[in-house]
Amino acid sequence: MAHPQLDTHHQAEELAAGLPPLLVAAERVATTVSQGVHGRRQVGQGESFWQYRHYDSADSAQLIDWRQSARSDHVYVRENEWEAAQSVWMWRDASNSMKYRSNDNLPTKMERADLLLLAMASLLLRGGEFVALLGSGKSPSTGRATLNQVATLFARDDTPHVSVPSYEPIARYARVVMISDFLSPLEELQSAIEAYSSQGVRGHVIQVLDPAEEALPFEGRIRFEGTEDEGDVLIGRAESVREDYQAILEQHNRGVKALCESAGWTFARHRTDHAPEAALLSLFMLLSQPVGS
Amino acid sequence: MLALGFFSFVVPWALAGLASIPIIWWILRITPPAPQRLIFPPVRLLLNLLNREESAAKAPLWLLLLRILLVICVILGAAHPLLNAADELKGEGPLILVVDNGWASAANWENRQNMLRGLIDQAERHERPVVILTTAPVGTKRGKPVVNILQAAEARRIVESLQPLPWSTQRKDILNSLSGNEALKQGKRGHVVWLSDGLSGPSSEDFVNALKKLGDVTVVRDSNEHTHVILRPPVPKGTGLNLTAVRPHGGGEATFNLQAFGQDGRALMRQTLAFTDGEKTTTVFIELPSELRNRLARFDIEGQSSAASHVLVDERWRRRPVGILDRDAGLSDQPLLSGHYYLKRALNPFTEVRTGSTEKLLGRQLAVLVLDDPGLIDPTERKKILDWVEVGGVLIRFAGPRLSQNKDAILPVKLRQGDRILGGALSWQKPAPLAPFDVNSPFNGLEIPKEIRVRRQVLAQPALDLPEKTWARLADGTPLVTAEKRKRGWVILVHTMANTGWSNLPLSGLFVDMLRRLVALSQGVVSKPGGPPLFPVLIMDGFGRLGSPAADVTAIAGVAFSKTVPSPKHPPGFYGQDTERRALNLSSLLPDIKPLAVSTDGIREDVYGDRHEVNLRPWLLGFALILAVIDLAVSLALRGLLSFATASGAFVILVLSSHTGWAQSTDAFAKKASLKTSIAYIETGIDKIDATSRSGLKMLSLNVERRTAAELGDPIAIDPAKDDLSFFPLIYWPVTGRYANPPPAAVVRLNEYLRSGGTILFDTRDYQTGQEAETMRRLASVLDIPPVQQFPANHVLSRSFYLMREFPGRVTGGQIWIERAGARVNDGVSSVIVGNHDWASAWAVDDSQQPLYPVIPGGERQRELSFRFGVNLVMYVLTGNYKADQVHAPAILERLGQ
Repeated sequence: MAHPQLDTHHQAEELAAGLPPLLVAAERVATTVSQGVHGRRQVGQGESFWQYRHYDSADSAQLIDWRQSARSDHVYVRENEWEAAQSVWMWRDASNSMKYRSNDNLPTKMERADLLLLAMASLLLRGGEFVALLGSGKSPSTGRATLNQVATLFARDDTPHVSVPSYEPIARYARVVMISDFLSPLEELQSAIEAYSSQGVRGHVIQVLDPAEEALPFEGRIRFEGTEDEGDVLIGRAESVREDYQAILEQHNRGVKALCESAGWTFARHRTDHAPEAALLSLFMLLSQPVGS
Repeated sequence: MLALGFFSFVVPWALAGLASIPIIWWILRITPPAPQRLIFPPVRLLLNLLNREESAAKAPLWLLLLRILLVICVILGAAHPLLNAADELKGEGPLILVVDNGWASAANWENRQNMLRGLIDQAERHERPVVILTTAPVGTKRGKPVVNILQAAEARRIVESLQPLPWSTQRKDILNSLSGNEALKQGKRGHVVWLSDGLSGPSSEDFVNALKKLGDVTVVRDSNEHTHVILRPPVPKGTGLNLTAVRPHGGGEATFNLQAFGQDGRALMRQTLAFTDGEKTTTVFIELPSELRNRLARFDIEGQSSAASHVLVDERWRRRPVGILDRDAGLSDQPLLSGHYYLKRALNPFTEVRTGSTEKLLGRQLAVLVLDDPGLIDPTERKKILDWVEVGGVLIRFAGPRLSQNKDAILPVKLRQGDRILGGALSWQKPAPLAPFDVNSPFNGLEIPKEIRVRRQVLAQPALDLPEKTWARLADGTPLVTAEKRKRGWVILVHTMANTGWSNLPLSGLFVDMLRRLVALSQGVVSKPGGPPLFPVLIMDGFGRLGSPAADVTAIAGVAFSKTVPSPKHPPGFYGQDTERRALNLSSLLPDIKPLAVSTDGIREDVYGDRHEVNLRPWLLGFALILAVIDLAVSLALRGLLSFATASGAFVILVLSSHTGWAQSTDAFAKKASLKTSIAYIETGIDKIDATSRSGLKMLSLNVERRTAAELGDPIAIDPAKDDLSFFPLIYWPVTGRYANPPPAAVVRLNEYLRSGGTILFDTRDYQTGQEAETMRRLASVLDIPPVQQFPANHVLSRSFYLMREFPGRVTGGQIWIERAGARVNDGVSSVIVGNHDWASAWAVDDSQQPLYPVIPGGERQRELSFRFGVNLVMYVLTGNYKADQVHAPAILERLGQ
């Protein structure tokens, strides 16, 4: 594969191949949403058989199930269950800070976020769910073409380079998945989450961090420089501030987690030196369970 | 110059720089190393960290020490320290170096050159010009040596190219040019150092006095008094050689080792050479077996490297050339029955035997002349022979029917007419054995085999001196060998024939021993002075090593050779032609050597030694450079720009890069050829033949694998010029005119292959036409092919697997040739098999496994037999002669009693 992003696409497909198609646990799917796989226990459009009923003169002759009708004196019409789909809005941080890796053997945070997002999308699409990329301006759609669209967007780096998703109106009861390092100030994060949660949107937040960002394994005299014009800081002995840094990072992460919990969202952490399967599995579990249960 | 014991500093004020070290220490200490720069996304969190006090980080102590050491090295280097600095130069004029570079200087040459180097360094420091004068004459023109005033760099170049010369010094010559030089006379007084060879010349005192006029004189001589020993050329004495060694001093006992070497450089002998106390010369007698003596090329004294301690040996001391007069130039009817044959066989082991006419034999140097009953000798010839005998030649005559008819003057005794037959039909006497040899006879001590009988002899006329002249007699007292001394030479007559016509003496070992004694009697090469000019062949250098002559070495007239003193024009060495060389030795005409003795007033004396000045400056600066590189690497590493892994990786790559990428193709071939045993065939370059060979051998390999336990790989085409042949047990060679002249590289490899146990099957494929016989003959002339014979009945090849009587190929009925049995060891496997049955064509098949060529006369039976031959051949080369043991099978069975 010549293109690294296409490579990610394939990796994501491979990653997703190990899991069954994902049906988002949707406790309330609006009647208005498109046809999907969440059976509504009532007659409607769908593919699964629901019931036979006697032919009514209002029915079109095309609806008659001739095979069933031939068994008895009555004429039957075959009815399928009404099935609906859940839309999932996905977002991952495309800002410069995501393009960091501490070691050439590790993927950047962005690569890992892309991988997780695509794998998730692949699972969802196989489950017949609708998927859209938050901030791309496209409405949710299903089918393999959607995955290609998303992958192409990633490949073109055609997503807004922002650390926090801006609000856009989405359907109620939709799901949101956010993948980022969430190192921005808590206030920005709070406003973004509240904008969605106030609409009844449920969400899942995954924090992707590089192991070096967690551990601060450096020693000696180091000038640390930011990626997004935060300024730089010179530290005489990096090893001396390690514990303080770890404490302050933990405090920040707890803040993010608290934000999520207060909105009823889930929060998960992932490190780029860990296997992506673990993160995918936990996300799979979260999405396939009703939120809050 | 500041001196501190062994140390001294040329630029002492530079040491003041050491005072700056504390300041440098302080500066280094407060200047922290530059920080490492690192991108880090959560920098905002770090910014939130309370601002700790940002004190300047200090450079680590070890880095500080490294840098201070660097500074100290640079400062010390700038001060130019010297170890063992030499004394200062006197005067203000030039440094005049007078170097003895004659033969005697070779002994301690390394020390001489070191001393010269040290002196020139000194002159350079004091900015004094240098004059170098060598006392041994140089060049063919014996003009005045030129006095050049040189800068130190030029002088150093001259010193590096100075070599000891293999002749004597001529100190007088340079005196003239020194006193005639205006620049030296007018200039300031300089410092003169005479690096002497420790030997006294004709006018040493005058020489020193002349040097004193130019400045203060230092005379340097060797510390070891036994340095010079010269070895005189050997003098023949009896059956051995006398060798004399001479030393300059009479003091002390000393032993040296005398060594003799052959022409191939092998040591032939080693003997101690001891000087007793007070003795200046010593002589040692050596006796070498004549075989060894004939190989002598040179003598030298172990540990002595001068040209005068090496003596070259030429024919005069070494070989005894023996000439056998042979007028019909070997065209005799029965060469193996002639006396010449017996004589040659007897003389060859210990002499150089030549044959030819008198003219030819005496034209070269000759020790012994053998006349085997040549018949009439005309007067001019007779005179020539007698002249030669008188200057020291040894003439050995054998009697014979012709001598008994024609008596002449070249005989030791007067002979009776006719000859005497013992044990003939008309005689009562039995053939006579030999009587024991007299004590005075040169044959004394030789054992006489009992079975020797002399049937016929010529008889000497009784005379008063006959018993004295008789060296061997028969049991009845009649002389068998008589001899007469003629001035310096001998005329010896053996009263019977040199072949078995008259006696069985030539069949015995006694004959050889007697001839050996007679040859030992000769004084060696006898030649008259004169002859053609002798051209230089090998020339000795100052260290006694032989090499090719330079262009300015000229030939020596034959007359003057024995009086030639080695000089630049005629250095010692071998002169003459390659076949006949004469040795010019330095020591033969060298006067006895005396130690240098000059009055010591007004001069300083010094000795050569290991103690010489060592300049520490380049070492210190070099060390500083290494430290600087380490410091650079450390600084980069501290800033994170250089990791240990990359640094060591780069180093490893640097080291290994020179060792990759060779012998790829050879390896591939070796692998292919050695992983499976394969038959090889010579690629002739003719497609049809090569394809046939390939297909035929492939089919054969398949059949061998099918029928026997041997597993063969696919046949491999080889080019003997390029490929290593040692992998193949058998090479099939379809002989064609196209590949009749293998290149020399191929010949070398093929011969090596044949010698080391390989087998080549030459297939001329020409039973009908016979056209390749000539090609085969040509191949046989370049390849080392052993003698061959027609295929013998019962040869192992006929039963190594199948029992076979004939070996048909595509054709049949031709002859097969195989190495003569027992000609080589090689487990009895013939290294060549030559035939013309075109086997490969019989074996070859096409793609559909159908035979490519019909067999002649025909029939599947013949094709089958051709395969059987192939199988037998492969088994024969693989298993050797073990099937040959089958001849013993009946005997073994019989012994088992079954």
